Amino acid sequence: MSTPLIRLENVTRTFPGAAGAFTALSDVSLTIDQGEFAVVVGQSGSGKSTLLGLLSGIDRPTRGEVFVADTAVHSLSERAMSSWRGKAVGIVFQFFQLLPTLTAVENVMLPMDFCGTWVPRERRERALALLERLGVADQADKFPTKLSGGQQQRVAIARALANQPALLLADEPTGNLDSRTSDAILELFRSLAAEGQTVVMVTHEQGARRLASRTITLADGRIVANERGSHG
Amino acid sequence: MASPRVRKILRDVWHHKARTILVVLAISIGIVGAGAVLNTWSLLRRVTREGFLATNPASATIRTDSIDASLLDRVRALPAIREVQARRTVIGRAMVGGAWRSAVLFTVADFTAIRIGTLQPMSGAWPPALGTVVIESSSMEYADAAIGQPLIVQVGDAEQQALDVSGIARDAGLAPGWMEHVVYGFVTPGTLAQLGAPASLNLLQFVVRDEALDREEVRRIAYEVKALIESTGRRVVDVDVPEPGEHIHAGQINSLLYTQGAFGVLALLLSGFLVINLVSAMLAGQVREIGVMKAIGARSEQLAAMYLGLALVLGLVACLVALPIAVLLGRWYAEFTATLLNFDTAGFSIPVWAIAVQLAVGALLPVAAASIPVLRGCRIPVSAALRDFGIEGDGKGNARWLRGFGGMTRPLLLSLRNAFRRRQRMALTLLTLAMGGAVYLGALNLRQSIRNSVAYMFGGILRYDISVGFARPYRADSIEAAIGRVDGVSRVEAWSGSRAAIARAEGVLGNAFPIVSLPANSAMVSFVVDSGRGLTPGDSSGLVVNRTLLRGEPGITIGGDVSLVIDGRSSRWTIVGIVESGPGPTAFATREAIVRATGEAGMDRAVVFAADRRPAAQAELSRRLREALQNQGFEIGSSLLMAESRRVLEDHMLLVAGFLMIMSQAMIVVGGLGLASTMSLSVLERTREIGVLRAIGADHRSILAMIQIEGLVISIASWALAIPLSIPMSVALGNAFGRIMMPVRVVSLMPESSGVLLWLAVVVGVSLVACAWPASRATRVTTAAALAYE
Repeated sequence: MSTPLIRLENVTRTFPGAAGAFTALSDVSLTIDQGEFAVVVGQSGSGKSTLLGLLSGIDRPTRGEVFVADTAVHSLSERAMSSWRGKAVGIVFQFFQLLPTLTAVENVMLPMDFCGTWVPRERRERALALLERLGVADQADKFPTKLSGGQQQRVAIARALANQPALLLADEPTGNLDSRTSDAILELFRSLAAEGQTVVMVTHEQGARRLASRTITLADGRIVANERGSHG
Repeated sequence: MASPRVRKILRDVWHHKARTILVVLAISIGIVGAGAVLNTWSLLRRVTREGFLATNPASATIRTDSIDASLLDRVRALPAIREVQARRTVIGRAMVGGAWRSAVLFTVADFTAIRIGTLQPMSGAWPPALGTVVIESSSMEYADAAIGQPLIVQVGDAEQQALDVSGIARDAGLAPGWMEHVVYGFVTPGTLAQLGAPASLNLLQFVVRDEALDREEVRRIAYEVKALIESTGRRVVDVDVPEPGEHIHAGQINSLLYTQGAFGVLALLLSGFLVINLVSAMLAGQVREIGVMKAIGARSEQLAAMYLGLALVLGLVACLVALPIAVLLGRWYAEFTATLLNFDTAGFSIPVWAIAVQLAVGALLPVAAASIPVLRGCRIPVSAALRDFGIEGDGKGNARWLRGFGGMTRPLLLSLRNAFRRRQRMALTLLTLAMGGAVYLGALNLRQSIRNSVAYMFGGILRYDISVGFARPYRADSIEAAIGRVDGVSRVEAWSGSRAAIARAEGVLGNAFPIVSLPANSAMVSFVVDSGRGLTPGDSSGLVVNRTLLRGEPGITIGGDVSLVIDGRSSRWTIVGIVESGPGPTAFATREAIVRATGEAGMDRAVVFAADRRPAAQAELSRRLREALQNQGFEIGSSLLMAESRRVLEDHMLLVAGFLMIMSQAMIVVGGLGLASTMSLSVLERTREIGVLRAIGADHRSILAMIQIEGLVISIASWALAIPLSIPMSVALGNAFGRIMMPVRVVSLMPESSGVLLWLAVVVGVSLVACAWPASRATRVTTAAALAYE
């Protein structure tokens, strides 16, 4: 039986604005089990990215509680947050966000370096193993600008996995990729989930629903649908 | 192998080579500026301390009648005295290039046994043999002398004789001969006798046993010695007690270096500002990367350590570049200053502590400067960093006053508003440029003030062209009649000069200074009266003193009485006025008053105003004057052309202004770098905006113009700010200079208009050059790339 890895309790996030406060998420409660491949969909401005920000600890709820793997994320100090985030969460961005002056393998080693995980001399070996698993081992010593979009995103996913995070978050990871590459990346997430990696992905991609174990639909900051998918 | 984060930083540095070089350059300039002054100061301190003290300088010098061995023994037996020695100084003249110049000849009983004020043989023979002269190194050039060549010397009225120049020696206790316009030479008592001068030793010098004594305590001991000398029936003419352990010019040099040191520190601060700017620029381009690194687990302090570590490394590299230059400059400037002090820096090294201070400042300055932007940059929340798109929406450029320019074209208005968008950064750049401008204008003003002061002194205050000194006194009317008959003389006055000292209450004399007697209504001198009044014909006991004298004798007040000892005789005087008359302490009295005080009716000096104002004609007149006077039986000691003195004085004073000009040029370089970095930063931050402009039709030229105009707005604003800033700068420089060298007449506090215009040209030029790179970078931005810029 699966245990809930993520638990949101009555989470509300409002942003102060010139035209009054704007509520991005309103009283959202949600649980996601370990090993799920959850997809969050919704219109632009529905609160998808806000939800992702709260899960990664990049943002904090105005009200409510966020638990990830038994950690009360909402109550972590800024300092504790970054070291928790480094070890517990891997983030994949829409624009890949690889550091341009580091090679692919160095980008993957960077989180280990910051979080002090693994013995320094084992880091490269582990980074290479991750690249191998994502099918880009042959690009290890190239700089990001020499890689295609798909290759960059694979390196970025390898980087997100560097510290064996409990949770892999992806923000429109296929938004900048052609459809064939997109499909490959989605398939990759599915297979990672199948191996027990919890994945939460925000996307516009309709095709993603097909591979997901659960699809959460947001509208105006509220969950309007929460459906189990074919892989659930 | 270096960790990924170290590699990232190193590659970033490599990637932004231009910016990295700018940072290193900025720190280097600051270190060179401040370091050069520190090196100069610390080296000079060492040279003067160790070099001067090594000569075992006299604690006091007492002028008396002839001194013999038994007197020396008796003085040496006093408990407070460690060392005693006798010498003689004879004033004569030396023939240099067909004209006579003042000469001062020193003698001691045995040159090989000098213990006080030791001499340093430099080349040729040592000690001087009978019939030869060893020249003091600082007067070799002035004497136009060479070893092995004869030097024609005359003392008083005796027959002139050729002495072979046998060697060169240095006397670190003398002010340089070329500066004093004196040929200093060392001869044996036998040679003096050959020259017809009295050869007996008349100056008693001693060194006190306790080195910690202050000037007053040494003076007290000097008076014990004086009493002892007088008890032997000898007469004591004057007692001179210098500041213990300090070279005669050390105070001046210190003040000079402190003033320049302030500019060094300023250069350092400005380069610190520049580093803040550049590091901000660097971080501005890295906000997103910082956000990503935080998102994957970097803590703020890890990121701060990365960037501050980089700053430290850049600082060390800058030190590597700057320290050798600072050392070279410091040595060069110290050497020049040491020449003024008659010292030699050879054989001395800059103290290790000075280098260590520069290294520490050079390494830590960038860390300190970077810490503000780094901490700010590293504290940006991840979400904000990831949202950073490069277009700012702070609206700060829309200051109300900037909306008033309705008639302007839109692109011009955009440039103007852009310039004021990042206020703090703009303020730093503007301030750096403005300070450079203020120093430049201030230095120009100082230069003009120096010229005016010198011109004023040699034309306003001293209104004569030639000064003739006689070997003994003559009646005033006979001098004036004899000179008046010489063709080309427009006016003549007979003056006299004696040495006076203020008698203090406890029977102690102050240091000797010249007292000049002159006609009350003299046409040859026109004092600027600071307070009180000038001399009037009825002044039989009225004394006018100059400001420089006042500095050494602060007790003097207008209307106060002083007791003076002149040529061994005491007299009472009332201070009637304080005037400005030049760099040396001097007092003035009427001829009648001096006659009353000294009983000597004769005059020993004549000042002449020439009909022909050309220097060549005056030199010729000086030669004919000597000839005519000698033909009529006058014994001439020396003659001095004021034009020559003026030129030499001016040259030396202007060197100081020159140093300040160099400082201001260093600041404009720092300012230019600052502007270049500010503008590159603007372009970088506004890549997207520039892309938008291109998309709506801006061509190459308008983009170029937009950036250049933005730079010009800042530069011209700095120029405008520099003008009012230069006023306090001029006042400060004038005051500092006045304290150190001589009172300068600050003609006008307003900068010269030609200087202001020149500075405008410099600023515009610097701006165009500084903005060239950022502007061309901006034109290379393509619409597509700019709009895709992340």
